Amino acid sequence: MILASFKQNKSLGCSEGRYPVKRHLVGSAAGVALALVLTGCGKGGSSGGADADGKTIRFVAAKYDDDTQPYWENLIKDFEAENPGYQVELEVVDWEQIDSKVKTYTQTGQQPDVLNYNKFSDFARDDLIHRAKDVVSPKVLDDFLPIFADQAQYEGVQYGLPFISSARLFFYNKDIFDKAGISEPPSSWAEVEDAAEKVKKAGDIPLGLPLGAEEAQAEFSIWAMNNGGGWTDKSGQWAVDQRANVETLDFLQKLTKAGLTQPNPEATNRKDVFNQFAQGKIGMINGAVFMRKGFIDTVDKKLNYGVAPLPSKDGTTHNTLGVQDYLVAFKKDEDKNREAVNKFLDFFYQKKNASKFLSTEGFLSVTKSAGDALSADSAYYKPFVDALSGARFAPTGNPNWATVEGAVKQRIGTAVSSAEPEEVLSEIQKTAEKDG
Amino acid sequence: MSAVTAETAPTAEPAAEISAKGAATAARRRRPPRLRTVLLTAVGWLVALTFLAPYLQMLLTALKPTQELMKSPPSYLPSRWEWSNFADVWSLKDPPVSDALWFSLYVAGMSTLLALAVGLPAAYYTARNRFRGRGAFLLLVLVTQMFAPTALLVGIYREMVSLDLTDTAEGLILVNAAFNLPFCIWILNAYFASIPKELEEAAYMDGAGRLGALARVTLPLALPGVVTALVYTFIGAWNEYVVALTITSSGDRTTLTKAIPGFVTAYQEQWQYLFATSLIAIVPVVVLFVFVERYLISGLTAGGIK
Amino acid sequence: MSVQDVTARIVGAEEDRTPAAPERGSRRPRPARRLRALEPLLWLGPALVLILAVVVWPVVEMVRTSLMDISSTGLTRGFAGGANYTELFAEPDLPGVVLRTLIWVVGVVTVTITVSLGLAQLLNARFPGRRLVRWALIVPWAASVLMTALTWRWMLNNFYGVVNRVLMDVGILDKPVNWLADPVQSFAWMMAVAVFVSLPFTAFVILSGLGTIPAEVYEAARLDGAGPVRTYLGVTLPLLRPSLLVAAIINVINVFNSFPVIWAMTRGGPGFSTDTTTTYMYKLAFDNQDVGESAAMAVVNFALILLVVLVYLRVVRHREETG
Repeated sequence: MILASFKQNKSLGCSEGRYPVKRHLVGSAAGVALALVLTGCGKGGSSGGADADGKTIRFVAAKYDDDTQPYWENLIKDFEAENPGYQVELEVVDWEQIDSKVKTYTQTGQQPDVLNYNKFSDFARDDLIHRAKDVVSPKVLDDFLPIFADQAQYEGVQYGLPFISSARLFFYNKDIFDKAGISEPPSSWAEVEDAAEKVKKAGDIPLGLPLGAEEAQAEFSIWAMNNGGGWTDKSGQWAVDQRANVETLDFLQKLTKAGLTQPNPEATNRKDVFNQFAQGKIGMINGAVFMRKGFIDTVDKKLNYGVAPLPSKDGTTHNTLGVQDYLVAFKKDEDKNREAVNKFLDFFYQKKNASKFLSTEGFLSVTKSAGDALSADSAYYKPFVDALSGARFAPTGNPNWATVEGAVKQRIGTAVSSAEPEEVLSEIQKTAEKDG
Repeated sequence: MSAVTAETAPTAEPAAEISAKGAATAARRRRPPRLRTVLLTAVGWLVALTFLAPYLQMLLTALKPTQELMKSPPSYLPSRWEWSNFADVWSLKDPPVSDALWFSLYVAGMSTLLALAVGLPAAYYTARNRFRGRGAFLLLVLVTQMFAPTALLVGIYREMVSLDLTDTAEGLILVNAAFNLPFCIWILNAYFASIPKELEEAAYMDGAGRLGALARVTLPLALPGVVTALVYTFIGAWNEYVVALTITSSGDRTTLTKAIPGFVTAYQEQWQYLFATSLIAIVPVVVLFVFVERYLISGLTAGGIK
Repeated sequence: MSVQDVTARIVGAEEDRTPAAPERGSRRPRPARRLRALEPLLWLGPALVLILAVVVWPVVEMVRTSLMDISSTGLTRGFAGGANYTELFAEPDLPGVVLRTLIWVVGVVTVTITVSLGLAQLLNARFPGRRLVRWALIVPWAASVLMTALTWRWMLNNFYGVVNRVLMDVGILDKPVNWLADPVQSFAWMMAVAVFVSLPFTAFVILSGLGTIPAEVYEAARLDGAGPVRTYLGVTLPLLRPSLLVAAIINVINVFNSFPVIWAMTRGGPGFSTDTTTTYMYKLAFDNQDVGESAAMAVVNFALILLVVLVYLRVVRHREETG
């Protein structure tokens, strides 16, 4: 039977796709219908695993390094032991991928209950997250250091929960400085240039300047803020193209073109610069508090380096770049998870738990209690903690910051190589002013 | 020796006229001249070396101790052979590579089976029959190949949510099978179409059913195509990264590809583990290939078909 | 029989031809037309369901997204109509990106196919160790493209990369070159890496194609007195046409959508000078935080691929008909 039909079919057809598409439409309509039925069956299945009784929550944490996952797993075990019936589902995501995951979750309505992230204000603007005071106890709320709590505000209300912070200082290689005949670390830009010339003559790379896409915004803002520049003006409006910023890039461009930096700053990432410094090849860099754990100790524990305040244009005031990461709690349809979220967050912010994370990962504390616990290991951390009093932060409270940061990462490197600082900055300013 | 030459003498002349130059010749010769073999072997080995070079470099780097990894200028060989890098990554890291390996194997294997199971009938039928919508079907197959999962992440994720397949191997299997299916159908269609129908007709005449003819005559002849589709789908599913990243969330559902980039973050750099894991990831695919490679070439050249 | 007959037989196997077997139609009554029309559904059904459900649905989603106004968090704010498209086409970097994408695709695919033809011949010939060479060739395909790209980035680094070391030791360079910092040099290297990872697959497709060419064809050619070059051009290449078609189209598609090579090696930088449409699309979503515009780019990217492939098919069909 099949054979017969097979032959019939063959003699039937010189016509192919030219034929009226009706048959094809029927076929595909059937397929689509089938698919829709399938999806209808599955819909409303799980809301990502969270439980009906509000005792299971989803927590997405960012991966800092290998110690992050074990830390959270242990913390969750302790939490679940102390609070029977409550469960936390953990997901650890690389920083590289977390943007994509978070956007996917938000777009599909699958936000977790708690998220460890570096932004919060656009969530606040879109009314996606709880206010800080709604998800932690007053004791925890008070424990946040004011300098960090202030940064976590959107339109005057605190939404973000400060998680960890870092500060930057000027790292210099004492051996290289000795070789070049420099006795003191530079504190003004003129001295930086001078020291750089000396180091270059002595045969090493003077200044490490990572303006590659990885963290260009941090590097740029460190220099800019020590020239009185920054991202916004005094009233909080975007002022990326201000005079002080242009001067900063002019200075950096001058250094680059004079060969006083590593080759091609616009294409070099922070990782590589940190590593070369740890190998003793670079004389000076803007380093971060976590450099020791992640980059120096792994290469050369005996590196002879010193730490100094970041150089500023005139050498008087020295600002540092403060960076903090946040925890945020997403609003869910029914509020049933809020109690569990509250419990979990309060548990984390207990002194012993929070300070354990900081000492494991090498960051600075954002709470008073954890900060006290950390001062034991003070020799290395003290300068960073002190510098925090003069810390300037990125305007994370402005929902457009993510867009500006993206534009800076992409473009700013070109300002020291192929393009002119003024044009690059005005491009970025345009992006900032566009309604994101 | 000379007897052989004498016997083949009548045909030797035209053959001798044909140049004995190396790789450009396509035909099979009765007895290749020695120079040609030597040349071919040399070129062959050179080619092999070129293709293996980056991976040898990966291997050497994976065996270096941490301090030496990014030394500038770099050393060619490790000063100390750190085989422990492989051991560490196999069982000590979180998640251990051994777990990720099995998970990846499962996902890739099942995706391949699914794609072939679904694609073989479709390709066979399309190759053998004219039916209304055939052209449209082939066009659909061609067009859906043009979409890379990277652009479709949100839609895929949303779909997995409604099918309740997030964070499951089954979800990954479906997606991988579906995205590799167009290629399978395309290439199987080409192979089936190139096999003359007469061969199947002959089998029908001898009493084999339609499926019997398919199994006994057509499939063996289309084996190169089937194997190509198999290898392509397996590798596609094995190395798939973005969808695995998006769909899975818990630690025990990690594919190998997901585990790899995590070694180098903004806060730590463990290139030796990254390279070690990548090398481990290559092994199963090569093993698979070693097994199926001979089927790639069998075909009508087996002779004796007529 | 002559070469032409054999070629025609094999290439034309698809076409409607009278079967040699006697008519068997009298065995059973003809099934109803309706039933017969559903037969394709039986064979094609599962494939259709899988494709439509898992591929087409997200595509619909993607097109829908390109018409929406999406906030930086991912939340949908409302219908945007063509606004994302107009914004996309107004981007000053777009023309460069599109041009570069075309250079990327044409360059990589032509080199890949040309070299693969030679490689397939090599792998088809008999010599000791052929097996091992074939196994070696699978390695770049077996390794994920991301891995290979990262390895090459590692090797090209101006501080610790081995390429510079080798070139300096051999005497070609006297100080390290930062290959990936210059847009043109890095683009050339990335194209080379893309060719590198595409060669195994293409070579094997052509190799399988070579395997389907029966020995009689070469015999016939030899009897006709054809030399190796004429045999290759006149017999082998035409018979390879189906494989070449598959290889070319798959390569065009994969290379167009290729993301890891450029992303891992230069991240499309400095600035946008090494971006192709796929990396640019990613940047729009995650640097510019504009998911809607990114979806628009994805749609445009797809349209480009479709255009290129259709043009290619038209050219091939035209050549078939006239040749």
